[in-house]
Amino acid sequence: MTTERFTALGETTVLVEPTHAVPIVSIVVAVRSGSGHDPAGREGLARIATRMLRRGCDGMTSTQIEDALDRLGSEMAVDTGVSTVAIFAQVIGRNLDPFIDLFERMLSTSTFPQDELERLERETVAEIIEGRDNDRVVAQKAFQRTLFAGHAYGKSSGGTTTSVPTITRADVAAFHRAHFVRGNVVIGFAGDVTPERAAQLAERLVARIPAGPAQGDPVGEPHVAKGRRLLFVDKPERTQTQVLIGGIGTLPRDPDHTALGVANAVFGGTFTSRLMKAVRSERGWSYGAYARLSIDRHRQSFSMWTFPGAEDAAPCIALELTLLEEFLAKGITAEELEFIQQYLVRSHAFEIDTASKRLHQALDIELLGLPSDYYSSQVERTRAVTLDAANASIRERIAAADLLTVVVGTKSEIFDAVKAAIPGLASAETVPFDAE
Amino acid sequence: MDRAWLKRLNDSITPSNSDLAKIEYDGSSAFGNDALQRYRLGNGLEVLVLVDRSAPVATYFTWFRVGSRHERPGKTGLAHFFEHLMFNETEGLKAGEFDRRLEENGAESNAATWLDWTYYHESLPADRIDLAVELEAERIARLVLREPQVQSEREVVMNERRYRVDDDVEGAASELLYKTAFTVHPYHWPTIGWMEDIEKYTPEDCALFYRTYYAPNNATVVVVGDVDEEKLLAKIQSAYGAIPRSTIPEEDTQPEPPQLARRDVEIKKPTATQKVLVAFQGPALGDADHAPLTVLNEVLFGGRASRVYRSLIIESEIASEVRGWVSAFRDPGLYECYATAREAHTTTELEAAIDLELARARDTLVSDDELARAKARLELSLLQSLETMSGKAEQIGFNEIVLGDPAAGFRRLEAYRRITAGDLRRVARRYLVDRARTVIRVLPEDPGKEGTGDGATDEATS
Repeated sequence: MTTERFTALGETTVLVEPTHAVPIVSIVVAVRSGSGHDPAGREGLARIATRMLRRGCDGMTSTQIEDALDRLGSEMAVDTGVSTVAIFAQVIGRNLDPFIDLFERMLSTSTFPQDELERLERETVAEIIEGRDNDRVVAQKAFQRTLFAGHAYGKSSGGTTTSVPTITRADVAAFHRAHFVRGNVVIGFAGDVTPERAAQLAERLVARIPAGPAQGDPVGEPHVAKGRRLLFVDKPERTQTQVLIGGIGTLPRDPDHTALGVANAVFGGTFTSRLMKAVRSERGWSYGAYARLSIDRHRQSFSMWTFPGAEDAAPCIALELTLLEEFLAKGITAEELEFIQQYLVRSHAFEIDTASKRLHQALDIELLGLPSDYYSSQVERTRAVTLDAANASIRERIAAADLLTVVVGTKSEIFDAVKAAIPGLASAETVPFDAE
Repeated sequence: MDRAWLKRLNDSITPSNSDLAKIEYDGSSAFGNDALQRYRLGNGLEVLVLVDRSAPVATYFTWFRVGSRHERPGKTGLAHFFEHLMFNETEGLKAGEFDRRLEENGAESNAATWLDWTYYHESLPADRIDLAVELEAERIARLVLREPQVQSEREVVMNERRYRVDDDVEGAASELLYKTAFTVHPYHWPTIGWMEDIEKYTPEDCALFYRTYYAPNNATVVVVGDVDEEKLLAKIQSAYGAIPRSTIPEEDTQPEPPQLARRDVEIKKPTATQKVLVAFQGPALGDADHAPLTVLNEVLFGGRASRVYRSLIIESEIASEVRGWVSAFRDPGLYECYATAREAHTTTELEAAIDLELARARDTLVSDDELARAKARLELSLLQSLETMSGKAEQIGFNEIVLGDPAAGFRRLEAYRRITAGDLRRVARRYLVDRARTVIRVLPEDPGKEGTGDGATDEATS
């Protein structure tokens, strides 16, 4: 199954994954620009500017747009990353035409009303404050912010309580003008639509969007600090902790990218992985234990994630570090490699079993600049990974000496024990959970 | 469809288990545009099959008619505990072997437990479906329940409880809501169980629960995917055919009496903002009032054009989040309204603003446009749930277990189309009444309070 790919009005990339199993259609409108373009002090701009598209357009107020979206049996959501912003929509198939008319109007005639912008900024600030209730989110934000300090990956795509209110209507209009241009927009369809019809609908969607080229990438390669560091995020009354340990990871174009992914799956990618077995199955310390390699246009993070009870946090961190050191020193075994290759090859069917998943893969390739066969050759590349290549990739890409540990927990109870659990700790810092 | 193969399968079974293994075809029923086939083994195992060739994968769900409602005080959480034990050791599989065999075949697996049911599922490449049949038949009959297995999973579940409830503001509020709103019905206790009960599970508790509820005549298998029906049924017959029935005890559940006065509880948590849960005694999923109350909920809380969203988030800006939900349980549940205050705003303001909208729903008819919008949103939501094979299998199994009708989702859609504004006003008047109200307020800890571990537990006052 290959995603249909063509160009609308000579500039806009259109991707289509038809299926007529269920009478709904997913539509994605994305731009090849994300929060990496947010100016210093205006973090959150790309997200706010895209969310403003449903807050008023020619002849329609925000309320009228919302009513119309509901009437058509449709939904819309915005997802913001450093490299892209995307609007994900779904609509009942019979209403596709009027939905495209509405979407087109929102994209091309947005009015960015000042009162709506102020309201959205207040909503966003409230959402950021609310996010502090979620310890996992708090840990993830602190990890990104600290590991990638000074880099776009260290800034919050959603903005902060201080940056969001400074965003002006002029900022929003300028972002829209610069980035919502035909060459920078990518459109995707999945579901109950034929490629022919999708082509017509895509042309309608971009007809009034100004011509313009794809935007350059303002983000450089990240450099992370050396040494073992601890950031302790202090939150009262935690019976459980959130623990992230990691450092710099992989690039999709690295020659050893697939090999590292395979090795990481052995270490922490499945329910029978080394990490899960040692932390959950044998000790019951954490409900989950995972190792992950994030991907983007630039080198992203490698991280281990566990959430042990407060009394188990220090021994759990010590165990994770020991397991990682062993992984780096000894690598994986031939038996482990064979097992994980079987798993990854056979489970590949679930990467592509729905039209939406296939569309998302095609969008990733387009928006993140992945090699064009990144997904289609995944099975062959996985099969081809040798034991030597897997183990060399671990030694090459992951450094046990340069690890950031982030813990969300109650300082007065476990900080000293956590510090003592990290051999060779170069620095330890504590911040309150509501710091940004 | 010719099912001559069924006779061949039944003719080939050995005399020793012929009654248990015999397969009966229970007919076909529509599931949207697809046909759902129903079979039953002599030992009571129900099998529902939907052939779907849209991708070379299949999903295998095993639903058990057991949930937290079947537990007793002191042993709460046992149904959920099995969700963990069932992945551990069996007589034929060492600890870890279950997951390992699934993974080496590229399968995904998971499980869920709630008040009325428990399910286990595997999604596999279609040519590996036999593995799911073998593994599920193995663990329904030959689970090992000794102290090491119980001890190891107990720790994991205690951590899961901390994650989902103790350290989670919404989880803690929701648990308190059900504890307060239900006084005699087993919906009173949380599915994950009270911590003091989890700490004390014994292998004997587990063995008794297992013998009682994990039996073919208490289970429904749902298979959706690119499967050959004959081969699948042959495999199921061979794997499950020797497993005996169990005597499932009649449930001894007291209905929750009508609530005669509102109940209020307040807790303090380390959170920046106040939150409120306002709930009312509601209908069971099978009650004719459930559909209109669901539509009313959509008018009130469904999306950014809904009444409560508009009032609390857009106009008065006192809330950052609002949600409403009609519980989908076999017995009467709750209608829940949840709101999070923005900084400097209070639960009192939130509740008053929600009350204004509830009163409006009781006093006036919703507009035709609001009604149409709510119905369109609900239609989209049903269609979204059918996008994947596991989504379909979940719909089929849930509706079969709770309502005895696997295609109830489609009937629900038809019911929505018939609902009028008058129906919404009627259910608002019937259910949204003050005497049947329970309110949980979450307030931020006093400023400066530190988590010292002593005296830092929830402070609840009625």
